[in-house]
Amino acid sequence: MKKIERKDFLLLGGGAIAGGLTGYVFSGAPFLSFQWLVEWTQDQYVPTKGEEKYLQKLCEYCPNKCQISIRMIGDRAVKVESSNSCCPLGQATLQLLYHPERIKTPLKRTGSKGSDKFAPVSWDEAMKDISSKVNKLVKDNKADMIAAVNKDYSLSGELLERMIKASGSANVYYESSEKTIAQGALGGFAEYDFANTDCIISFGAKLLEGWGNQCQMNQHFLNWKKKGVKLIQVDTNCSTTTSLADEWIAVKPGTEGILALGMANYLIKEKGRTSGAPNFAAWSQIVINQYPLAKVSQLTGVDVKKIKELADTLIQARNPIVVAGKGSKGVSSSSVEMQAVYGLNTLARTGAVALKAPAGMGAIATTGKAPAAGLDDFIKNRDFEVMFVNEADPVYKSVLGKNLAEKMEKAFVVSITPLINDTALYSDYVLPSISVLEGPDSNNAEIVKPYKQSKHAGDIIIGVAKLLEKAAVSFQWNSCLEAMPGAGQTKNVTAGFAFNAEILKNYLNEYDKLMGSTEFPMALLPVELPYVGDGDGLAFPYVLKTIDRHTYSQGKLWVLINRESADKYGVSEGESLDIISERGEIGSVKAHLSDIVAPDVVGIPLGFGHLAYTKYAEDKGVNAKEIMSDKLDPLSGSANWWATRVKIS
Amino acid sequence: MNTLVKSVIDFIVETYNSYSKSMQIFFIFLAVNIFLFMVFAIQILFWGLGYTDMNNIFAMGVWIIGDLGLVSLGGGAFFTGFFLYMLRVDKLEPIINSTVLIGFMCYLFTFVFLVFDIGQPLRAWFGYAYPNWGTHLMPQSMLTEVVFCLTFYFCVLCVELIPVVLRHKIIDAIPAFHYIGHYLHRLMWIMAAAGTFLSFFHQGSLGGGMWDVLYGKPGWFRAHHQFFFMAIVAATAGGTSFMTLCPYIAGKVMKKEVAPMETFQTLAKISGAMFIFYTTFRIYDVYTMAAKYVPSFDRNYLDIWGGYYGIWMLVFEFAACFTAIAMLNIKKFRDQEKFMVIGISSGVAAIIMSKLYVVLHGFSIPNFPWKSFAAYNPTIQEWFITTGGLCCMIAIYMIMAKWFRLFPHLDKHEHHAE
Amino acid sequence: MNTNETHVTQENKMKRRWGMAIDLDKCTGCGQCSIACAQENNLPIFEDDSDQPKRVAYLELMKVTNDRDAKYPNVEVTFIPKMCQQCEGNDPSNPKPPCVSVCPVVATDVGDDGVVSQVWSRCIGCRYCQVSCPYEARAFNWWKPRHEGSFKKSLNSDVSVMSRGTIVKCTFCSHIWKRERDKAVAQGITDINAVLYTPTCASSCPTGAIVFGDLNDPDSEVSKLSKDKRAFRLVHTIDEKPEDEKKRLMKLKDYPNPKVYYLSSRQWVRDMMRFK
Repeated sequence: MKKIERKDFLLLGGGAIAGGLTGYVFSGAPFLSFQWLVEWTQDQYVPTKGEEKYLQKLCEYCPNKCQISIRMIGDRAVKVESSNSCCPLGQATLQLLYHPERIKTPLKRTGSKGSDKFAPVSWDEAMKDISSKVNKLVKDNKADMIAAVNKDYSLSGELLERMIKASGSANVYYESSEKTIAQGALGGFAEYDFANTDCIISFGAKLLEGWGNQCQMNQHFLNWKKKGVKLIQVDTNCSTTTSLADEWIAVKPGTEGILALGMANYLIKEKGRTSGAPNFAAWSQIVINQYPLAKVSQLTGVDVKKIKELADTLIQARNPIVVAGKGSKGVSSSSVEMQAVYGLNTLARTGAVALKAPAGMGAIATTGKAPAAGLDDFIKNRDFEVMFVNEADPVYKSVLGKNLAEKMEKAFVVSITPLINDTALYSDYVLPSISVLEGPDSNNAEIVKPYKQSKHAGDIIIGVAKLLEKAAVSFQWNSCLEAMPGAGQTKNVTAGFAFNAEILKNYLNEYDKLMGSTEFPMALLPVELPYVGDGDGLAFPYVLKTIDRHTYSQGKLWVLINRESADKYGVSEGESLDIISERGEIGSVKAHLSDIVAPDVVGIPLGFGHLAYTKYAEDKGVNAKEIMSDKLDPLSGSANWWATRVKIS
Repeated sequence: MNTLVKSVIDFIVETYNSYSKSMQIFFIFLAVNIFLFMVFAIQILFWGLGYTDMNNIFAMGVWIIGDLGLVSLGGGAFFTGFFLYMLRVDKLEPIINSTVLIGFMCYLFTFVFLVFDIGQPLRAWFGYAYPNWGTHLMPQSMLTEVVFCLTFYFCVLCVELIPVVLRHKIIDAIPAFHYIGHYLHRLMWIMAAAGTFLSFFHQGSLGGGMWDVLYGKPGWFRAHHQFFFMAIVAATAGGTSFMTLCPYIAGKVMKKEVAPMETFQTLAKISGAMFIFYTTFRIYDVYTMAAKYVPSFDRNYLDIWGGYYGIWMLVFEFAACFTAIAMLNIKKFRDQEKFMVIGISSGVAAIIMSKLYVVLHGFSIPNFPWKSFAAYNPTIQEWFITTGGLCCMIAIYMIMAKWFRLFPHLDKHEHHAE
Repeated sequence: MNTNETHVTQENKMKRRWGMAIDLDKCTGCGQCSIACAQENNLPIFEDDSDQPKRVAYLELMKVTNDRDAKYPNVEVTFIPKMCQQCEGNDPSNPKPPCVSVCPVVATDVGDDGVVSQVWSRCIGCRYCQVSCPYEARAFNWWKPRHEGSFKKSLNSDVSVMSRGTIVKCTFCSHIWKRERDKAVAQGITDINAVLYTPTCASSCPTGAIVFGDLNDPDSEVSKLSKDKRAFRLVHTIDEKPEDEKKRLMKLKDYPNPKVYYLSSRQWVRDMMRFK
């Protein structure tokens, strides 16, 4: 046998290796192993599969009571569709339903207020503790120290109001909206017959951007287009509403009320219109004396001819509506303005506007001191020892939020909310509520069980009320479903409206004083993004995707400044600014130059600057309300934050 | 094991100490860059391209500029090879090894940068397995053409590089390798021909074709043959300048004559001629863009030169081109070393600027009238991966120059000296 | 307003050519389309999604004003929802969108119904298609897409979760088409062109501003709207040129020829489609 020499061995070995490698490569094995490696390193999540079905449910969040269809895959809700798809809630609801930061159980504060330290407790324990605090105050004849802040006139809002009033306190307040401001200024909130009107003059109410009941407003908008209904928007800054309206009357900042008074002057003096409401004589006297058209034109920037034209359009319309309440989701106004704008409705003798007030859910004896005029008045001038906050965020949304937080530190606060927000930080108990998709509806359809231990806010309130010695008797329902039929009742209070000449007397003087301030030459006007609103939307990641780069970008909030003003004040595009008002300073924000805002105006987005509201909303930008005017309106008790004057640096 | 490591470390320290102070600082600089390159490479590969300043508007950045530049300048390899092996311009013989090595490294690092630049490096092989071919074996996607031609050309370069490596004293002593090296050298002309053929395709497609087919983007679209061939000419012009510049700098650093001045001058002459060709072509290109192509988008040529990457880029490029033409074509200038160096540097700068303008200017142009010009600020990760790559190339070049027979002229010189 | 259309027509011999008509006079910029799209397509969730140039979104709600050409108070604002325009190129019978021919690995392709598909398990992330898109419709996953914790529960099983380093874009909800197709087949209707469906943005729009349908069907609403005098296409100014000029330009190069039409009665919106 021939000896295998090293050379041969090397050749054989080399050949074997070469052959093996070639075979391996051409067999595709390395490609397949690469493919496997790609898939393994990506570790992409695969959503759990399940049976697909569409379940129907009534959404009872607002009086519209839309039928919604929820696409389920197994037990997961993946898509919400509604029959009229007008509701903005629908799409974002799933993000609340499955938000990882949802509160699972009732929480009791363990650290200091504002430290965000809570420990879970049972419902029984929480309710017992809460009710005992209320019972004690009632027993000690200090019922007035019990207060509540509601978000709006919903079922749970009415139930909470009933509970507080039945305990002997009249201190129930609602977050600033066109309804609450109107309640103070007009004695009731305006119900507009948008479906049957032929002409709408809106004074700063951004009807197409989230104002009022957005669902209904969208339907009305389409109707108006079809029927050729005229929409005239009186507003300072350009927005979607001014662009889609048939006409935009641009007014100088803060002069919407003055324009309305100018129109009233014309209608009273030259068209001989009168109103039957009490105090009209005194009111109209001031209007005639102080608001001649030339002066109004000079103050508002609208020429006399246009003012007359506008007033003529109003009275020539068959069924006109004049809308009061500036803003979209965050509404603020002065009572003078509300009365002036509403007053135009009475001067036009329209049948399309009525004043309604909540009728409550049955009689209860209310004792106790008269309440403050509004929430901001209460925060500034009153004290409380127990406060209930129902799905609201007054520490964030009120301009006096910081003052409220300070007072909350010394009081016992219960916050009902599904996510920890700025107000919950200052609460002693945080009770988790549910999203509109959870729990049964009036047809007893339950699609999704309430998340962990959360409950419907109404059920929470009924639960607490039944443990209150004094209030329990007023609560004959066992669940909010039972209470639902009796909720939402209103009564017509149109006849109850009265003009107030006292507040009108000094309006112009005060306006002149405000405008005369050389230290603060610019007006700070809020700008709202449809989904972010007054701050509620920012907790949802998909909402973050709708925010454009001149509102919030790369960690900085942007404000809008008119190009002419930018020249005047020496501001360039993208420059960092601080905004300073009488109340303080916020910064830094970046400036975007655009003629969408009027000269001498800083347009600042609302909804940013939360201290707590899930990681998606926290520490993004600044909260404009911190420096907005806290001057309280005597009738509505709310701060008119559209009247803020600032300077930039 | 320990002794091996120790001897390697001793060797490195000894070599390091044998150099002057300024060279030592330079080595530290190289080492730091390469180290940071590796650190950031891991970050980018594992945690994603989010760490760069590229975004949905400015989708490509430093690495693509690097790729375009490397491929274009590395294209000098094919052209030099073409002249030496096909046209038998023997004066180029002394620097052909350096040229091949530079070409090899340029293409190698093109692939390296590309690996970082694509979002899924593990799927890079899809380009070969699922190519976007159109009809009749014509690639429908320019990138398919790029991928295949670059790969084949890289293989050609590898084969061309082998003899350079094999000439090392120790390796050359082994008869088997000596024969392989010798025969490869005889077959070099086939490699050069193949290389030239392939280079036409990938230079044209990567430098030009890839951009001029984008019919939706006003900064890039032109007639295909126009930009395609212009890119090839750019590669011949800039590449040859680059191939002259690198060994020249090496010679200055090593303080030796790595190649006779005639070699540099020959290559510079070729480069100068190609620059005339390129500049003419470029003027035609700018003219048709302004008169025909950009207006077909209903835009104005001068308006799209807004933003940060403005018309100064074009001005600079032409200035550099004309300088190169003057310095390299006029014999009086070319023969003077100082002016020749200015000429070839301008040439390289002109081509680099043309690649910069393709990427920076092209991406910054707004697509909608309400959007503004975009800007691009590369992040630290992008910078260090780029400079790290370049430092790797410099390091490899220096190693080859010192320990391998990169410059055969040096041996002759030493021979003569003895 | 628009629910998911599930009706299917029998004996439809026409090939579909899906298109959209978006009425800007009805769009209020509410953002529902954007959020519905995100929900339906499993878009990744980021804590800070404010880096718009890196944002992963299929539908960009562009805020457009005329303040380039006008001063306060003659300014107006409109919102333009922009998704993949499903371009056709010069010849609809042989569609050549700018992005399809450039992909080196055929991760994007144009289907028989004109919809440009995107397969992210094939995509290598070279972003060449993103470079070629004149409408900035394509998004790249610069970061690893995540759905934190319980957000995973609302993920749609019909759409695979995307990976880092791939390009994604609007596909006119072709997965909903597939769902409807499967339902039709289960009912015994095998004609592929019989299937009708509605993408999420169109079905969620509260004012019905987004209309979707078959451009090849002369009776469809989208077909009629696309021929309306208020209709225009995004930055596609060749539409306004006279016929012979159009022909000359189209010989010079391909034009995107998108299948998404926008309608506006306001002249300034059309003026903003031109560069100054």
